[in-house]
Amino acid sequence: MAVASAPAPTVSGGPSLPARRARSRRRTPVFDWMALPAVIVLAGVIGYPIVRAVQLSFTNSNLLSAGAAKSVGLQNYKTLFTNDPVFWQALEHTAVYTFVSVAAAALIGLALALATENLGGAWRILRTLMLTPWGVPVIVVAFLFYYMFQDRGGVVNQALTSLGIIHTPILWLGTGKWAMIAVIIANVWSTTPFFLLMFTAALASVPNEVIEAARVDRAGPMAMLTRIKLPYLRNAAVLGSLLMVIQNFNNFPLIYSMTKGGPVYSTTTLVIYVYQLAFDQFHLGFASAVGVIWLIILLVFAGLFIRLMRTNPA
Amino acid sequence: MRGDRQVHPARKFVRRPLRVAAGVAALGLAVTACGSSSHSSSSPTSAASSSAPATVTFLNWADAETATSPGITAMINKFEQLYPNIHIKAEPVSYTDVEHQALLQYRSGNPPDVVEMQGNYTFDLAAAGALQPLGSFATSSYKSNIIPSELKLGDINGQLLAIPWTVAPFGLWYNKVDMSKAGLNPNDPPHTLNQLLSDAAAIKAHEPNVIPFGTDTTNRTYGLDQNWPFMKTDGAQPFTGTTANADTPGMINYLTFMQQVGKNGYTVVNQLGGKFRDPAAHNGVAFDIDGPYLEGVVLSETHETEAQFAQTWGLTTIPVGTTGKAYSTPTDHQLVMFKTTKDKQAAWTFMKWLSTSDYAISNYTVPIEQSIPPLVNLGSQSKALLTSSPFYKTYIDDILPTVILPPWGPSYTAAYTPIMTTIQSVMTSGVSPSSAAKSLQSQLQSALAGS
Repeated sequence: MAVASAPAPTVSGGPSLPARRARSRRRTPVFDWMALPAVIVLAGVIGYPIVRAVQLSFTNSNLLSAGAAKSVGLQNYKTLFTNDPVFWQALEHTAVYTFVSVAAAALIGLALALATENLGGAWRILRTLMLTPWGVPVIVVAFLFYYMFQDRGGVVNQALTSLGIIHTPILWLGTGKWAMIAVIIANVWSTTPFFLLMFTAALASVPNEVIEAARVDRAGPMAMLTRIKLPYLRNAAVLGSLLMVIQNFNNFPLIYSMTKGGPVYSTTTLVIYVYQLAFDQFHLGFASAVGVIWLIILLVFAGLFIRLMRTNPA
Repeated sequence: MRGDRQVHPARKFVRRPLRVAAGVAALGLAVTACGSSSHSSSSPTSAASSSAPATVTFLNWADAETATSPGITAMINKFEQLYPNIHIKAEPVSYTDVEHQALLQYRSGNPPDVVEMQGNYTFDLAAAGALQPLGSFATSSYKSNIIPSELKLGDINGQLLAIPWTVAPFGLWYNKVDMSKAGLNPNDPPHTLNQLLSDAAAIKAHEPNVIPFGTDTTNRTYGLDQNWPFMKTDGAQPFTGTTANADTPGMINYLTFMQQVGKNGYTVVNQLGGKFRDPAAHNGVAFDIDGPYLEGVVLSETHETEAQFAQTWGLTTIPVGTTGKAYSTPTDHQLVMFKTTKDKQAAWTFMKWLSTSDYAISNYTVPIEQSIPPLVNLGSQSKALLTSSPFYKTYIDDILPTVILPPWGPSYTAAYTPIMTTIQSVMTSGVSPSSAAKSLQSQLQSALAGS
């Protein structure tokens, strides 16, 4: 059997870079000006808070202080990097929560997309049912799993006990290790349909000729998957994952509603930590410093995403 | 060079309207700024005459909770009937969010007039300089009818900044049905921490789906409020002023107790105190540390009569530790006025009526909040209601004398996170109480140094 790897899909297919630049030069400026209202609105609702947060990060601003905030230079950042173990824990938990969630949701989404690829007739409703978690508001997901993971009366422990897998209830939300696993499971349930959608759409775009050619070459199911389909899914996987990394990095309601970042700091991610510092302890200056670091990390991922979108607009 | 640059005709076309638009926008911003400036600079002492129509905004969590929302709405309606020139605009917010909501509104120049407050929240708002001193409104006849310890709660740095609305200290609620099922005497609740542990073990053994002990261990000031009596009864006080004092035998005793509660699964760690009330309504909690509100929530869910409730539940003081002394802390609700309030007299009229009128007490404070009014001399209706319930007698005779005030204020705000995370840590891990106390000592030293 001589099934050649399918050529990497040339999804860009657009004009070359010099051609795009030439077209850009020919643009009518009036159309650029039409973006002005949107730019003004964005500057107000996004730009100003960012500038203000950066400004606050160099102060000792505290909501409980009756006096005006004073400049402390880089002190907040120095404390953050040298004398705040919770910040590093939060950073680690953010990475674990984000990357484990995205990897698990992508793999399950891929498996479901492949499993439902050839469903026909009434069976297609299965795919619709699998997409329903995507339509459930995150706050509802949080409370749903909060009750499911209760150690007493929670359906998860009941199921595990009846299956004989456990004999004593697991304190899902009451122990650090299990609490992180519980919030990740809830998040994976909520975000898997996104990957199912992405991969289903990408699978539908695999050209029939390529599939036919592979069949003529007697490609087996495994070869069809690894050499034909997966290369076509690469772009969807990369873009979808980046998008979900950004979303999960910001995921506040799910974690906060399920665990409030605890017990101890076991599920405290950067966004939860910023909230706790700003609105529980009222250290607005220090919270802004954490927020700035969080923003920089997010910008890296957002930049990667935009770059990929530019090089692979399809 | 600027003068040499070719200007595209389309740019010429749009430049003028853009300038005009920019001018209009700048003018709009200026007008807005002036407007807000004039608003914020209005004299804080100005008070509209009592006959002029006034609107008082009332930020509160009573209106955000199912059990109390209809009651507080009825109170507001009644007040507006009695005082037709004063309109009360209720702004519901959850208890968890009320403090930062009020602070953020204050900092952004749009504060409410009257706010329902509790415990350390009041001290935080006072530290922020947001509160109106009430000494000039609280006449001697008003003061003479308030329970002195309740009046003292609102006295911060020598100024009366909050008035008491409801009196509600923590007590130990015990479920007689659960105790009977576990083979315990339902009329003999635990009086010591050791008895509490052994009773909890019996509950867990006989009724695995019942939470033996409901106690708030969340990382918030309310969590520390609820744990403070347990620390005190074991002889612990983790800090005094800005001095950390956590590495003591008393604190180790207390942490050992909490470790047994956590490791044996007697409670749900990191659960809000209020979240025990729903299972409690269905006999799902055997012993619960709570204020009088438990009764209101249970009754609103089960639709039982008070007599039926009293058959199921009993109330006593919080069990004692090594010192042999029982303690409790207040969860009393207070009313505060922001100093930016435009019509202070109208706001005060509402605050006073809601907290002291016989109508409000006999139709809301006692039957809906299930709390004790802060008055020395009660009206006839209120008195009749209070004497009809066995729980009020327990509160007044047994629990109120055990009430102590936690050291609320900026140090408390700085200290609660290290203390509560240490408690959670000993409850969920194998860390020894003595090393946890040592670690807490250094965490507190650093936290209190910055407070």
